[in-house]
Amino acid sequence: MSVETAVETKTIFGSEVPQPPQHGAAGGVMRGLNFGTGLVGGIGLAAVAGWITAILTPSSASNASFAPMEPTYVYLAVLLGWVVGFMLGIGAFVGPLRWVVGRDVTHADAEYMAGKDLGRKRYWKYTTDHKVVGIQYLIVTMLLLGFAGLLAMLIRTELGMTWTSLFTPAFYNSMIGTHGIAMIIGMIVVVSGPLGNFIVPMMIGARDMAFPRLNALSLWLFVAAVPMLVSSMFMGGIQDGWSVYQPLASQAPVGMLGYQMTIIVFAISTAVASVNLMTTILTMRAKGMTWSRTPIFVYGIFAASIMGLYAFPFFQYSQILGLADRVFATSFFDPLNGGSVWLYENLFWLLGHPEVYVILIPSTAVALELMPVFLRKPLFSFNFAVAGIVGVVALSGLVWAHHMYMTGWAPAANYPFMLSTELISIPVGFLVLVAIGTFWRGTAWTRLPLMAVYAVIFNKMIGGVTGVYLSDVPADQYFHGSMFVVAHFHFMLMGAGLFGAMAGIAYFFPKMTGRFLDERTGSIGLWTAFVGFQITFISMFVAGLQGQPRRVLDFDDQFNLSNWISTIGAYVIGIGMLIFLSAIINSWRSGVIASSNPWGSKSLEWQTETPVPLENFPVLPVVTERPYNYGVPDPYEAELDSIDEDLTEKAGTK
Amino acid sequence: MSADTLIPEEPEAPTNRPPSMQRVRLWLQRPYARKVLILTVLIGFLLLPLAWLLLAGMNQTGAPASEIMKDIEQTVFVFTLVSIPITAFVFAVLVYSLIGWRQISGDEPPMQDSPAIRTNTIGVILWTVSSTLLAMFLVVWGLVELAQITANSYGTISADEQPGQKSSEIINVTGQQWVWTFEYPEHNGLTSDILYLPLDRPVYFNVTSKDVIHNFWAVELGVKIDANPGAITQTGVTANKLGTFNVRCAELCGMHHAYMQTQIQVLEQDAFDSWVRESGGKKTS
Repeated sequence: MSVETAVETKTIFGSEVPQPPQHGAAGGVMRGLNFGTGLVGGIGLAAVAGWITAILTPSSASNASFAPMEPTYVYLAVLLGWVVGFMLGIGAFVGPLRWVVGRDVTHADAEYMAGKDLGRKRYWKYTTDHKVVGIQYLIVTMLLLGFAGLLAMLIRTELGMTWTSLFTPAFYNSMIGTHGIAMIIGMIVVVSGPLGNFIVPMMIGARDMAFPRLNALSLWLFVAAVPMLVSSMFMGGIQDGWSVYQPLASQAPVGMLGYQMTIIVFAISTAVASVNLMTTILTMRAKGMTWSRTPIFVYGIFAASIMGLYAFPFFQYSQILGLADRVFATSFFDPLNGGSVWLYENLFWLLGHPEVYVILIPSTAVALELMPVFLRKPLFSFNFAVAGIVGVVALSGLVWAHHMYMTGWAPAANYPFMLSTELISIPVGFLVLVAIGTFWRGTAWTRLPLMAVYAVIFNKMIGGVTGVYLSDVPADQYFHGSMFVVAHFHFMLMGAGLFGAMAGIAYFFPKMTGRFLDERTGSIGLWTAFVGFQITFISMFVAGLQGQPRRVLDFDDQFNLSNWISTIGAYVIGIGMLIFLSAIINSWRSGVIASSNPWGSKSLEWQTETPVPLENFPVLPVVTERPYNYGVPDPYEAELDSIDEDLTEKAGTK
Repeated sequence: MSADTLIPEEPEAPTNRPPSMQRVRLWLQRPYARKVLILTVLIGFLLLPLAWLLLAGMNQTGAPASEIMKDIEQTVFVFTLVSIPITAFVFAVLVYSLIGWRQISGDEPPMQDSPAIRTNTIGVILWTVSSTLLAMFLVVWGLVELAQITANSYGTISADEQPGQKSSEIINVTGQQWVWTFEYPEHNGLTSDILYLPLDRPVYFNVTSKDVIHNFWAVELGVKIDANPGAITQTGVTANKLGTFNVRCAELCGMHHAYMQTQIQVLEQDAFDSWVRESGGKKTS
């Protein structure tokens, strides 16, 4: 058999490149698939799976407490059908299925999948281009955060109306649970998703991610997970807080399945995204980009990927076991049948603590990344910034049981966990040092991104100091489970995390959309939200100090005042966030056109043109110097040098 | 040629740099350095009242009512004092970078760059050493306090205790959705839904739950421990203040979690005895 055919060549950036032979014609069913067919597939398969399960389940099936099992089985089948159907419908399995039938994804197909010449349609498809995935992540995350923020408003409304009750206790509990987990998922994604995908490959001088199709997979799994979370609100809800402690969760209505399936699917998405980002960063950095020439944001995303990769499996196991308890009547977490509630708590917090650093480190890294640009000086002590990130990653897996000081699980283990938790303040302190060292004597170009960094550092200091109380077992004996904890982690996750994400979005907005984020509206939104944030959560600290437990919908009169103030503040945050959102939407549609490098940055991602072409760089860049090479010689150093000379002369004449 | 002849005979060459102390002195002469330090002190003094305000918040309903709660408050007080200088310094730099060092606005990047300070050995060393010392202080303080609180709560029944002169009291605390039950096994298994405690006598709690996880929080006494189904957790306290205090559930336990609270009555020994008698329990012999 002869395979002798004329080798096709193609002109790529002005040179003839031989093309490998392709098997099979380009095109096929893939070209007709998009988000719409995904919805049809998902809803269709969900309906079919639910219907078949309903037929197959005997109506008498019930669990040990005589509750009928049919809704559980049907809802589970619907959720599974949704995920599989949606992923099939949107074309997630086109590549693997082609392998199965022995056809290649041809070059033309790959270009089609990357969204070449598709215009706006590519944002609705299973597109592999990292820039499209980044924008898609941004939109989905903002929708999710908006949904969770709406729940936050409802929660604060209920708590502020101390004279009456708006919601039933069951619905209130389901709101706090859904708010919690939706915010956590949204915050995990909000920097690593949009900026990690859009910016990181450009920042390291690569043409795309290492595994473009996996990139799309991680996004669309995330998209498939979100409706399951929302659907659980209509199936009795997640009434057990975001941590869904067992055995309370086993009492919950079938809505709990929505939580469990969301986590199981989201953990796969996170694993895929983490591996993809790590491989990209490890193997695809531009020539000459040694580790000391790699921007700090890349370190931040890499660190978040490592932590996500090892932490999420624990969460996934815990939910798979919980799902088995519910569906198959196993008893992993049922103490009456030999299970352990402490097992669940351990598995959960093995995720739970690294996860807060998965949120915090990328937003901190964004802040550190943009500071040198706006202060026109190098990042202070780059090595310390890296050491800080490495230290946080190293300790992140050793501190989880500080959430369990008061559980009675292992009182003797409180000593080492207090030690490891308080040690984390040292690497975090490094990051603070880097930030204030970069501010030191810098000419601040007070544009919106830099101003957001001020907010981040302020909030992070408050969150950090209050965290020191909570890391201490004796103080935690008072604060554990109180509103003080709620205020503390909102300062960290929202005050440092979300404001950091806002800084990052404002900074990279010109690269992502070609337009400036409107300075005026954006700043008004940012500072309104900031003021509201301080009002809300400082009065929540007060409620916690007074002894108000968290997750209560009703409380003693002594807590009324702080809760009223807190609710007023929450509305101010809401208004601020809406203003910021309107700034994003308006600027995206009709903002001031930005040049390709409006901030005058020296970083690689700004050196390519805007809008960024499909493969980012016409010629792959070569890096020859350290990042953040801004600044002029320090005048004081010259002065010191002259003193040196004087001293040398004096020593010489002695 | 032996190795020691390689050592140069002339005296050490003069150092190329002024000694560190002199560098610090020179640094302090720079106007911005003094201003940042003054700002730090100012902000520090502004933050200082927090140390007392936090305690005022905690003491609103009559705390501290035990040694444990006193230890907790002492910890909060010391931690606040310790963290004020570093917080004040960071805030001072933030404020000074907005008002002191030059700042510009406008659409174009600044024409002139700032001084290229890539690192500062003395500053970095100072920061690392001080933050490590601070963290070590917090750790040591925490470990010592924890040991003390543990001794105060679980401490073994004292050795000088005479038979028939029991100085301690055992209470079985049971959480269930959504009530607390307190059983006094040494008094005919007397049960109550209000926690009665004798003044100045150690009390040991055996805490458990009938259904889901609850958290037994005696707010003003600084006692907190989970009530787990299928396990008994132990803690204890000596109430040293008369009055009415609060028990709250500090772990989400379902629909009526918010209402799972009750009172603590700390009574004189006589009043406690008469309460036991009137409620049908056996008097402490």
